[in-house]
Amino acid sequence: MKSGVAFAFALVAMLLLGTATGSAHHPISAKFDDTKPQTLSGVVTLVDWRNPHVHVYMNVRNNNDADNWAIELESPIDLQAAGWTKESVKAGDAITVTGISARNGSRQLWATKIVMSGTGKEVLHVTPPSPPALLANRPAPRWPDKQPRLGPSAGGAQGYWAFPSSTVLSEASVPMDQYGLLRNVADASKVAPMQPWALALYQYRQRRFLQDDPTYLNCKPPGGPRQFQLSVGVQFVEDRDRQRIFVLIGGGNNNYRIIYLDGRGHQGQVGGDDDNPLYYGRAVGKWEGDSLVVDTRGFNEDFWFTNGGLPHTEQLKLIERFTRENFDTLKYEVTVDDPGAYTRPWSGGWTLRWVTGQEMPRHLCQENRP
Amino acid sequence: MRALTIALAVSVACLTGGTLTSAQEGHPLKGSWLGTWGPAKTHPNDIVVVMDWDGKAITGMVNPGTDDAPIKNASLNPDGWLVHFEADVKDKSGTLNYVFDGKIENLSFNNRTIVGTWKNQRESGQLKMSRQ
Repeated sequence: MKSGVAFAFALVAMLLLGTATGSAHHPISAKFDDTKPQTLSGVVTLVDWRNPHVHVYMNVRNNNDADNWAIELESPIDLQAAGWTKESVKAGDAITVTGISARNGSRQLWATKIVMSGTGKEVLHVTPPSPPALLANRPAPRWPDKQPRLGPSAGGAQGYWAFPSSTVLSEASVPMDQYGLLRNVADASKVAPMQPWALALYQYRQRRFLQDDPTYLNCKPPGGPRQFQLSVGVQFVEDRDRQRIFVLIGGGNNNYRIIYLDGRGHQGQVGGDDDNPLYYGRAVGKWEGDSLVVDTRGFNEDFWFTNGGLPHTEQLKLIERFTRENFDTLKYEVTVDDPGAYTRPWSGGWTLRWVTGQEMPRHLCQENRP
Repeated sequence: MRALTIALAVSVACLTGGTLTSAQEGHPLKGSWLGTWGPAKTHPNDIVVVMDWDGKAITGMVNPGTDDAPIKNASLNPDGWLVHFEADVKDKSGTLNYVFDGKIENLSFNNRTIVGTWKNQRESGQLKMSRQ
């Protein structure tokens, strides 16, 4: 009977851990409370080096027993950029972790500092990556017909677009964090001209600290402007022979979106029509001077189209304008027209920076899913 | 063995909980709702309601099929997520005007529920539907 009980508890613990791990990638505030600092000392039992977040598991002494804690860190991409490797902390290491506690009271901590107990050496130094320095006077690269290139220059250095100047979409300047979490929920109505139900739903999501975000809970694709808000970046692959542009999306699950430039309409497209709404919608574009103007509609409602949880409906229509102002700067402007959720069309935008000489990082949300 | 049974039950509950944490979507009423509204003398126990949102009005149908009834006077009050709709159902004795009032629970979940009441000229009862 005793072994049966032990097995039963082990089974429950395994399933609970699986659930916790399965909902790992998130705005930090959705899971952790920055008003609850905590410091733990113990011995590392496992390092789980996977996207979207690395976890260090450690045993912390509790009287004559030990509790196993899950210490959550940034993604492998961010940690590697900060000089970490899989071996920076290993099973058996004695460490002291400072961080903030999980909102639900579970044995999880978001780490802001890790110190090796034996040497006192601080091993966690993650600072937000900064965009590369601007090289002055680099004009936008162009095709032989003088049309701006949105991707790498011919035969030139590789690169991709990242470091959005803003990671939120808002009609007005409203204080919120990088994930779109409002500093004051009472400001919600200033963000966009929402219908009453949409405003109430937006406030509801905000009050829950964005914990219901389907991109982070279930790896739903970041359709709409959100694909240009994520830290992992985007890449444009211009297939001129076939008159289309592939937008490769670093966040989410390395999805891609196709912008057709061959003059087709929105109906009868391969991959979607009005009866088959899509995460990235149906996009058709044309060049207006040096700007690519893209009309996208046919979205489904299974995702959040911006950081912060602004609602949308299947009536969502986006007009996006991409302008490569110079070699290193891509201006992104978007007008949101969704009479199902908003009282009028509204606009926002930001810029992206060219990351020269690097390939877009590989980031698969589903790596850390059961 | 009993402990194992309990553990498995808890595990199923945990897994179900995980499933429930699905994404919120667009308008909270849009979709197909399946549930019960009985027992009653004037209708069967099961109910299906299909609702849509066009940006201005909530439309839909109660029990789509041969005995369907379009919903009318539908509203959603975001202050408390209160739902109201009506439907006229014809039977042998004439037309019954059904009035439904409820509240959305578990708003975050795909399979959120509407819990409330219904009434017509003859009787009344409890309503519970889950979004499919």
